[in-house]
Amino acid sequence: MAHSIEEVKKSQKKFLIVGAILFIGTVVTVAVAKIPALDIGVHGFDTADLILGLLIATIKASLVLMIFMHFTGEKFMVYFSMGIAVIFTICMVWLIGWSKADPIQFENEDVFRSGIVTES
Amino acid sequence: MEIPYIVNPRKDTGLTNSKIAIWLFLASEVMLFGGLFSAYIFLRVYADYPWPERALPVLPGLINTFILIASSVTVVMAWASLKLRELTKFRIYMSITVLCAGLFMVLKGMEYNAKFHHQAVRLNDYAVVEGHLHPHEGLKGTEITIEAETVSIDLFKFSKSYYADFSAEWDGKLQLEKALVVDGEEIFPAGQAISVDMLSQAKELFINNRANNAEILEDKLRQSWKFAKEETPGENNRNAERKKLQNDKYKELVDAIPAGDLKTAVGSLTFKATSPIALHIDPKKIYKSASDKEGDSGSIVLNDGTTLAGTMGNSDIVLDVDAISFRHTVMQAEKMGIDPEAAIANSWLLKDEGIKTLWDNHLIVVEKLEQHLLEEYKTKTDANGNEVAKRVPTEADRYRMGWKEIVALEELQKAGKDLHDLTHQEIQDAYPSMTAGFTGADHKSGKYNFPKLTIPREQVLFESKFTPAWNNYYAIYFTMTGLHGLHVIGGAIVLAYYLFFGTGMYRKNPEWLANRVEVGGLFWHFVDLVWIFLFPIMYLM
Repeated sequence: MAHSIEEVKKSQKKFLIVGAILFIGTVVTVAVAKIPALDIGVHGFDTADLILGLLIATIKASLVLMIFMHFTGEKFMVYFSMGIAVIFTICMVWLIGWSKADPIQFENEDVFRSGIVTES
Repeated sequence: MEIPYIVNPRKDTGLTNSKIAIWLFLASEVMLFGGLFSAYIFLRVYADYPWPERALPVLPGLINTFILIASSVTVVMAWASLKLRELTKFRIYMSITVLCAGLFMVLKGMEYNAKFHHQAVRLNDYAVVEGHLHPHEGLKGTEITIEAETVSIDLFKFSKSYYADFSAEWDGKLQLEKALVVDGEEIFPAGQAISVDMLSQAKELFINNRANNAEILEDKLRQSWKFAKEETPGENNRNAERKKLQNDKYKELVDAIPAGDLKTAVGSLTFKATSPIALHIDPKKIYKSASDKEGDSGSIVLNDGTTLAGTMGNSDIVLDVDAISFRHTVMQAEKMGIDPEAAIANSWLLKDEGIKTLWDNHLIVVEKLEQHLLEEYKTKTDANGNEVAKRVPTEADRYRMGWKEIVALEELQKAGKDLHDLTHQEIQDAYPSMTAGFTGADHKSGKYNFPKLTIPREQVLFESKFTPAWNNYYAIYFTMTGLHGLHVIGGAIVLAYYLFFGTGMYRKNPEWLANRVEVGGLFWHFVDLVWIFLFPIMYLM
């Protein structure tokens, strides 16, 4: 993306604000995890903590991507390559989960086991 | 040769070549770290042991997060300074960025160092004890001791480097038990002292004779198969008749080998100690051990095939205990249908008076926490219509004592305070502060007392430092943070190059350096972005 002098001057303030938001986001994440009075959900780590922690992390990551990495004003080629990468990553996560949910089943497990014994 | 489109964008893509390159690289990085994050999820969700939730010290991770965020701001400000043609400001911002990278790695190094020096021991009943080792002089503290009376060396696997580990202890004290006689010729007489040269010579002889025998026997084997195939045309090698014919023919051919053609291949040499030799073996070098109990006669087989036989010595592990966990014991007990509380009560660990007192006090702490949670958050009606506490202690609260709790309980006991008289908050106030023990239990300052525990070797199921060997959690922790650390180092080198050698580029064309810094900065932001997820996942969840 083209960066005119004026745009860059305006952006500098934005960078500092985003930096401050990232600091605050980090403090909130730690406070929720470490200070019992701020703990949401049940006592200790639970789904609510997981969702909140990942939500804050996602917001922080989006700010870095959009503002620091100027992702919002990029060209098609960049969106295309990153889009493909994200799709591949999602498929990879899904495949791993799927493989665990659908393990290899042997028709006759005893035969399989005895096979291992014979081999060794 | 001038590289095209590094300052001005290409018309078709609208981007400089370097920018396309870095985005493609970042796309591959997304997949790399995506794969590792999915591996983390997989390992955590399907772990067959209690996942060490919130086990890492938060402070170094938190400071490192601040450092990376600050560096992300300064690197983008450095780029903006170049765009505004402010070279001095660029240098200042970039210097801070590189400094941040250095600080990040220093903190990571401190964190890793603490893990590499922190000992964990899993007992036979799955209770876990963590602490600081009390090594004997010159030892690590986890070695297995044997009073070796005989040592058998596997000549096939014999290596000089392995031998060197023990040569200082046994050179001059081991003598060949029986003479090495090969095909009627005495190579070494009985009683000859062990030496590297002797073993190397015996190994060479063994390898040569074995190779000679293998060559002859392989030839006979080929001949026997050829014969069997000719006798049973149209059949395959699984045919019973063919197999029998081959077998019989092979025996016949082997019997017909002229005497002296097959050499004697002696694969191991046994040495007798003039007096028992105390050997302290690093468990990593042990392939298998017949007994761990002190005073038992036993044997140890090392990874290089060397067998040590004799009387097992004192191999106790002595720890300054800074954490106790029965989480795994409870998990195993539940799997086996045993009452977890009974499993804990029967644990070897609680046979130690000091630890028993500590654990009894811990149970009071849990009780106080339970009361506190009930008073603070009240009750709710569950699905069966029963009034139950809204919040209850976690499994880790109940079955694990961390170093701060151990220290606090010791201090309260020393002060003569009865835990029953104290509130949850009063007990919490006795805990060391958040900043105490920056990277873990503070054994160095001498401010805190930790109970000493001697664990007999036969009670140890597994022991390790907090390295990838300890469990999958530490394996994935070191893999992900280590790989991220390598990215920090790589990024810092590139940014430091622009800082120290970018002036020439700037003088030639300021926009050239600005584009380079933008590309380097994109990588740096990605490094920050990965850490934004790594920090909460590893340290807070």
